[in-house]
Amino acid sequence: MSNNGISIQTLGLNKTFGAIQAVRNLDLEVASGGRFGFLGPNGAGKTTTVRMLSGLMKPTSGTATVLGMDIVQKAGEIKSMTGLLPETPGLYSKLSAIEFLEFIGALNNLEGESLRRRIDSLLTMLGLESRQDDLLDTYSSGMKQKVLVASTILHEPRLVFLDEPTSRLDPSAGALVKDLIHVLAEETETTFFICTHQTSFAEDACDIVGIINDGVLVTVGSPEEIVASTKTKDLEDAYLKIVGGQIDRSKLLAWR
Amino acid sequence: MTRKWYHIAKAEFFVLTAGMRKHRKAMAGLMFALAAIWAIYLAPLIINTFIQLIIPMETIRTLLMVMFPGLMRTVMLFLWALLLLFPLSFSLQEIKIGQWEIFLSNNVKTRDILTGTFVGKIPMYGLIVMVFAPLLISPFMLAFEVSLLGQAVVYTVIALMVLSTIWLSNFITAMVQARLGDSARGNDIAKALSVVIALIVIVPMYGLMFFMPQLSDILGMNAFLVMPFTWPADLVSWAAITFNGIGLTGSQILGFGAILQLDMLTSALLMAAFGLAFVPIAITAADRVFTISAGVRTETVTTVGRENIFIRGVRRVAKGPFGALTVVSLKDYGRKAQNLSKIFYGVVLAIILPILMQQMSIMDGDVFEVETLLPMITIMIGVVGVFPFAGTGFLESKDQLWIIRSAPKGASRFMRARIATGFMMAVPLSLAPTLAMTFMFGLTPLTAIQIFITSFVVVCGAVMVAMGVTAQNPNYEDTKSSAHQTVLMTSMMLTQFTLIGPLFATIFLDIGLGFNLFGFMESIFGISGFYVVEMLLGPTALLLVGGLMLYLGTRSLGKVEV
Amino acid sequence: MARNGITIRTERLNKSFDTVRAVRNLDLEVMSGSRFGFLGPNGAGKTTTVRILSGLLKQTSGYAEVCGIDVSKDRDDIKAITGLLPETPGLYSKLSAVEFLEFIGALNGRNGDGLHRRIDSLLGILGLEGRQDDLLESYSSGMKQKVLVASTLLHEPKVVFLDEPTSRLDPSASAIVKDLILILAEETDTTFFICTHMTNFAEDVCDVIGILNEGEVITRGAPQDIIEAAGARNLEEAYLNIVGGKVDREVLLAWR
Repeated sequence: MSNNGISIQTLGLNKTFGAIQAVRNLDLEVASGGRFGFLGPNGAGKTTTVRMLSGLMKPTSGTATVLGMDIVQKAGEIKSMTGLLPETPGLYSKLSAIEFLEFIGALNNLEGESLRRRIDSLLTMLGLESRQDDLLDTYSSGMKQKVLVASTILHEPRLVFLDEPTSRLDPSAGALVKDLIHVLAEETETTFFICTHQTSFAEDACDIVGIINDGVLVTVGSPEEIVASTKTKDLEDAYLKIVGGQIDRSKLLAWR
Repeated sequence: MTRKWYHIAKAEFFVLTAGMRKHRKAMAGLMFALAAIWAIYLAPLIINTFIQLIIPMETIRTLLMVMFPGLMRTVMLFLWALLLLFPLSFSLQEIKIGQWEIFLSNNVKTRDILTGTFVGKIPMYGLIVMVFAPLLISPFMLAFEVSLLGQAVVYTVIALMVLSTIWLSNFITAMVQARLGDSARGNDIAKALSVVIALIVIVPMYGLMFFMPQLSDILGMNAFLVMPFTWPADLVSWAAITFNGIGLTGSQILGFGAILQLDMLTSALLMAAFGLAFVPIAITAADRVFTISAGVRTETVTTVGRENIFIRGVRRVAKGPFGALTVVSLKDYGRKAQNLSKIFYGVVLAIILPILMQQMSIMDGDVFEVETLLPMITIMIGVVGVFPFAGTGFLESKDQLWIIRSAPKGASRFMRARIATGFMMAVPLSLAPTLAMTFMFGLTPLTAIQIFITSFVVVCGAVMVAMGVTAQNPNYEDTKSSAHQTVLMTSMMLTQFTLIGPLFATIFLDIGLGFNLFGFMESIFGISGFYVVEMLLGPTALLLVGGLMLYLGTRSLGKVEV
Repeated sequence: MARNGITIRTERLNKSFDTVRAVRNLDLEVMSGSRFGFLGPNGAGKTTTVRILSGLLKQTSGYAEVCGIDVSKDRDDIKAITGLLPETPGLYSKLSAVEFLEFIGALNGRNGDGLHRRIDSLLGILGLEGRQDDLLESYSSGMKQKVLVASTLLHEPKVVFLDEPTSRLDPSASAIVKDLILILAEETDTTFFICTHMTNFAEDVCDVIGILNEGEVITRGAPQDIIEAAGARNLEEAYLNIVGGKVDREVLLAWR
């Protein structure tokens, strides 16, 4: 289990689906207690990487260890020690928030009073206590997202994968999640691996940011380093410079 | 670790009972208690009274006893098909792989998912079987005066058969879901499959309705000894015979052996082996099937080619926004496998009916005339017209409403284009059964044309009803939503009753008020004219109702929400 | 059409659903050609307001007009001059991008060469020209969103309502949407009314921000003015100061 302070390490990781190469020769290292932000265009391979690292999918070639364990041989152990918030998660819409969290807790061998107490305080913290007994299908998308965030950290995993955790949250809830990530990483050495489109969120929440494009990791570094090395004013500009996406104004108006 | 399946089953149970979650345990207990009382006491009582009311038991006892083994097989076939295919058909309608992603990322083994969802399904199907099985079984239990012990054996056999069938169906469902996966395309194929599967259930149902006795004869044949549903059926027969209370002796019991062919022990062993064999197969296969596919989200990219002759023809005929809308509507409709499979389903139903009718009249020694079937066929065709165009055939889900509602006069523009699409689809829909009948019965061209026109008018009417009704209640999320079921049922019922309505009305006039409308019309139009009028009555009414529904639908679709 | 340069005006606008009061005495004015950012917690009534203003929903009481047209009277006129992108828009997965846009255009009474030219150039701007004939079912969520944004602009509306336009877009795609909004607002007098949770997006794009809380606009002004008045560094901080949402470190860990 010794991992020398490194939570995730990949070596030449590849994944192909038919003719499409989703992830290409990925070399990556994330320290324990680190907050790694994974940026990139839609379809660049972020979700595929997360699925491989969380033991849901086997790589085509290459190796990777998560918490010191090989992702192919020890997929089961990895799953029980990590938490995953998928991008388009399926909720049991006919369960209440409490029932759903009890279910997730039970799957992770948590039960009884301590689980109840934990669920109650998590829901209170996220401002859902007044709706906790309502069925999830009456929740707004932001509220569902909050329940999922709670379900992901419920069993105190040592490594948490978050795929777009704040896209549907209002700024207050977004700030709450951001603070939660900071506190958990600092106080409990939990490692966070966060896929996001929100550069400002990544800038605030992550200490290391990686940018992936067409399956290739093109940049890794702290947000400040990336901004400085690209001579831009913030991470968004840096991203646009690296990935591309600026368009000149005359083209934008040509359609009219 | 070992009890993960239990938690999944519990969650499934919670989902099942979400409607009464305040008093979940009490209500579930109450329902099962009521079902038990029904199965043990009420159902036999009611059936007995009913039978005594029509024919005394002594008279039909022999008949029931002779029918018993064959009919048992038929019933079991029916039950088997129902249990195996309906859950499959139902869950294929909406594939939710996202849920599995949560399971799998929480280190839940696939066998736990399989076991959990299986155990979670038992209460509901158990309840259904407890309600319906006694209705089918009781007459025979009464005829043989089976002892309590014997009845217990019978119900145990049925319960075991139900369990093994659900397990099998659960396994197949999971496998198909994993294969089709989490993609728009997979979902569409799955929906199409679910309709075809439902068809496989419907066809034997028709068979059951029309040739209950004949089918029993057929199923009594040897070929069916290899079918899995035969074994529990025979076991039930054996149990009933062995534990009879009417004094059947050894040689009489052995006489049944000649009919059943397999003895009690063999049937029991075969049934147990079949049920047990699938437990390890499913469990070992499960992990392999799931882990590979979970999460693979690559999809085949389909690129649209050049527009075909037909589409270009429509474009030429219909100019302006209306033409463009119609063209796009047609493309959207035609590319969805589920729509096409619904059309296929409808056509098959429409073709099967005349064949069954022909067989029946041949058996009864009557002369078969297609003309006498026309009213029945029109009603069948009505179903054919409703099914592909109600609900999702009209609008995928309420998430699409914004498209229509945010455009000026969007509702009426959209409706017109959809109706045009429906009318165009009505041509093949009414042509297929017409052609089939023409070839099968060697119809004269005149009759064929007559059938085609009637069918076409009826399908168009049904399309109008279906779309109108859907437009009045489009707030469904998917085909499982109650709003969607309501839409489907309402349009189906409305079409059927409108087609049958005029006939009933005249019968009511005749009996209730002593006014013979048919006779009156016959005296005016003459006998051949009367047939024409009678034939036109239903379709005309349908067109009127369809028009009204369309008007109401367009209004309500375009209306501002309150 | 626009009177005194005011495009959207509401007076004591109210909307109740059964017992829930979604919008409460809303007084709002949006100048023509401006880019109005509507911020607020999940469930504060933003979407309801947009649905009333675009003629989809009837208010319980109060008055609202768009371009001088009473929203409760000439709804077809309102729809003709507004474009709407809802939060969870369904589209036709079995149509290609071009066909889908043709469909939307035709619903708005347009067709022929003019429509096709416009579709082509819009798709060009959004970077979809290579995939325009592929069925939408194979598009990623970001690509779908681009098609949807294009669909709201097809009939050159005077007011465009966007509900969470960038929540599913990668930074490049949001940058394009952002530039598109800026240029259109500047050069065509198109008014944008944008509901969003992304404070930095609002800060970059909008010239006026309204913060809605519990059905009432509690703050309104230029982003810079709001930030200064709240004594904050950026709009996110200002929002958190105004709406609240800072949670103590101890609370964040107390659930464990």
